[in-house]
Amino acid sequence: MAERTLADQLGGYLPEGIEALEEHERQDLADALRDARRRQAKALAEAGEEGLRYVPALLRGAVRKAVGL
Amino acid sequence: MTGNAVSSGKYGAEAEILKLARVLDVEPARLAYLARVDADDLQAFREQVTDTLFDANAAALQRMALAARVVPVGVLAKIAEKVFGPLLCARIAGLVDVGRGVDVAKRLSPGFLAEVAAELDPRRASAIITRIPLDTVLAVSAELTRKEDWITLGRFVGHLPDLTVRRALEQIDDPALLRIAFVLDDKRRIDHVVGLLPAHRLGRLVTAASADEGLWTPALDLLTHLGEARRATLKPMLSGLPGGFRDRVQATIK
Repeated sequence: MAERTLADQLGGYLPEGIEALEEHERQDLADALRDARRRQAKALAEAGEEGLRYVPALLRGAVRKAVGL
Repeated sequence: MTGNAVSSGKYGAEAEILKLARVLDVEPARLAYLARVDADDLQAFREQVTDTLFDANAAALQRMALAARVVPVGVLAKIAEKVFGPLLCARIAGLVDVGRGVDVAKRLSPGFLAEVAAELDPRRASAIITRIPLDTVLAVSAELTRKEDWITLGRFVGHLPDLTVRRALEQIDDPALLRIAFVLDDKRRIDHVVGLLPAHRLGRLVTAASADEGLWTPALDLLTHLGEARRATLKPMLSGLPGGFRDRVQATIK
């Protein structure tokens, strides 16, 4: 699947000065943003299950329900 | 565009690159090509990127914030520090109940809070930030200063009460203060923030910059954002400044 462009990732609009950058420069920003999003999603996925280990057993059901695990 | 606006824009782009690199977690050198972009455009872009990252995974973060309501504060603090880490805590901070967020923050170490602060979007967690006890803010500020994290310190100045800002700035030395002012999120606040300092400190800041060429840019940037009355107070000290720096200060405050 083709990678999303910088404008796509940011909702379609770019400030004028960013729009005026060279194609490869906008691509670099798109790559950096995509990588940052992936790191964040990965951290979030790992934290959900791991965090449950610290929740008292009595509350785990309620927490699982709330987070949709 | 006035001369001052030109200078401000030039310095502003440099500061914005540092802040964007922080948000994207990349080395500032990678973004060097952005130096030719207008600072206002860079700020707008950085805010877009910040919003995109904070809004990504919004549903999952909302569910976690919901779950935080049923977990005891002590357990939450433990999970925050041991499992979530600073990035996720920063993403969730703006979503949890303010009272619980403050209670959790009080139980976290200044070192960890400093890491959370670095990842936080103060615009989204303003309600919590303003309710953190002064002693905690000062401890976090000291930690950020120790780490020379000027960007984070600069991002919070606009979101803390004046008294807190004044107390925090008392414990920060002149070179550090110049570097913080350089990356302040809302440069329109610079004149107000300088007004919170003792009257003699502005002159001291300029003197400190005169002794270190690396501080010229932050100092000149600060001067471009001062009101006329405050700039005028510097004129008597111009003759005591070294040549090259004096000329640039003079051109800036004229």
